[in-house]
Amino acid sequence: MANRSGPQRPNGTAQAKICQFKLVLLGESAVGKSSLVLRFVKGQFHEFQESTIGAAFLTQTVCVDDTTVKFEIWDTAGQERYHSLAPMYYRGAQAAIVVYDVTNQDTFGRAKTWVKELQRQASPNIVIALAGNKADLANKRSVELEEAQAYAEENQLLFMETSAKTAKNVNEVFLAIAKKLPKNDQNVNPSVPVNITAWLTICVLRAGHF
Amino acid sequence: MAMATSRISKYDEYGFERPEDFDYALYEDFMSQYLKVLALRSKKWSSIMASPKGLKKSSSLKADIRKGIPLEHREKVWLFVSGANEERKKYRGDIYSDLTIVEDRDLADTIRTDLPRTFPENIYFNKSEESEGPNFQKQLFRVLVAYGQHNRKVGYCQGMNYIAGLLLLVTKNEESTFWLLKMLVEKILPDYYSRTMDGLLTDIDVISELVRLRYPDVSAHMSNLSFPWPVITTKWFICLFCEVLPTETVLRIWDCLFNEGSKVLFRVALTIISLHRAEILACEQFVDLSECLKGIIKGPSTLYCHKFLEQIFKVPGKLSLKDLNKMRNNMSKTRHMRK
Repeated sequence: MANRSGPQRPNGTAQAKICQFKLVLLGESAVGKSSLVLRFVKGQFHEFQESTIGAAFLTQTVCVDDTTVKFEIWDTAGQERYHSLAPMYYRGAQAAIVVYDVTNQDTFGRAKTWVKELQRQASPNIVIALAGNKADLANKRSVELEEAQAYAEENQLLFMETSAKTAKNVNEVFLAIAKKLPKNDQNVNPSVPVNITAWLTICVLRAGHF
Repeated sequence: MAMATSRISKYDEYGFERPEDFDYALYEDFMSQYLKVLALRSKKWSSIMASPKGLKKSSSLKADIRKGIPLEHREKVWLFVSGANEERKKYRGDIYSDLTIVEDRDLADTIRTDLPRTFPENIYFNKSEESEGPNFQKQLFRVLVAYGQHNRKVGYCQGMNYIAGLLLLVTKNEESTFWLLKMLVEKILPDYYSRTMDGLLTDIDVISELVRLRYPDVSAHMSNLSFPWPVITTKWFICLFCEVLPTETVLRIWDCLFNEGSKVLFRVALTIISLHRAEILACEQFVDLSECLKGIIKGPSTLYCHKFLEQIFKVPGKLSLKDLNKMRNNMSKTRHMRK
């Protein structure tokens, strides 16, 4: 429980600061929201991931330069009727990943609706990433890469096609978000003790494509 | 009973694969006590079921239900106390088989997506199409399609797959499952599963209000950590503690739920919070609290279901249906005014 972030280290060297961000995953049912989180947090993949009821909460940290970014991840239920609960989860979120399934055009439409809602109702500076999941099934795709890319550019979203199954771009999408988030003092939380086991802290700097 | 042999198995008596972190020692200890309870209850229920007058709602039946219905009698007793038997008489002919014919393709597609995602760790649900033996995925599909087509206002709500799934594991009968699901959704529970989920939103507010009134320190602590209640309670209400608490405990709760109604859910919720008040208050961070709650529901307090069921009727104190409904009305009004 001892290590603390901040400039108070006795030897005077600047220690990595710790920033904490709330991130929410939104998107139609069965597009792979929970699978993306499971891959990112535990490095696992289940062919049949149980449907999420309500929401699930997990944490994971990534390192960006000299900053440790700690994500508080809210994974939500996708079915339309759970929509009324969603504002509770995206309220105060600094980041969102809106997920669709590249093999299902309807889920892309639904993703757009989520983006609109976030732009209207979430925090004004929220960093939104659009993730076209199930990229391993590209031979069955019904949403073209270019189409999604154009939409993302138009709306200033981060965009990647991901695969929770093969791990393609999963860490990368979280890392891209971490890089884009403002790491000013407001988000630095010096009261947070660095407890490795409790945080499942793994630096996912395997990426390196950026 | 199957229970006795399941102790060392990788699967429990309902076909669920035990998780990797399953505490076998704790479970052994629990079973060594619970088997005696089961033996006594089995004897008692054999005589209840053998009575020539049949089942009759009474305070003594209520007491016996609170002490647990043996697995082999659950289907019959649940159908009786829930009112499903009476309800069934209101319909002419075999409505169930007719309803299983798919008419609403969108509904069927939605349900189909969730089939492999329902209890994937259960041997009765994760069978491939070709393998032999009971395959509850097909039955679950038929039950959910039938119910969704029967009650178009509700259709299919995620969460119902777990409830119907567990009902199938207990009754091994899809028609009984259909009727029990109908009783839960339409008579026993408020409007949890409809498109507006109005009853759920109300009950989420009610439970946080009840905690505020009964355990103000816990309530204040949770709001200090900005822990929104729905994070935990949505699943408690929607799944009726299935996928939350140990299966045997869930079924003991359902025994009372079918007989006494939805206030049982509040008793369970309040008991969990009350028993773990100190641990909850000791959490300094939102993250700790989330981990703490995950630990609680896997721990001994809910595993020892016989003791836990005794506690739910003592620990939270008085909770009348009248007061509860009054509170539901108030909360619902307040919520609609906020809109």
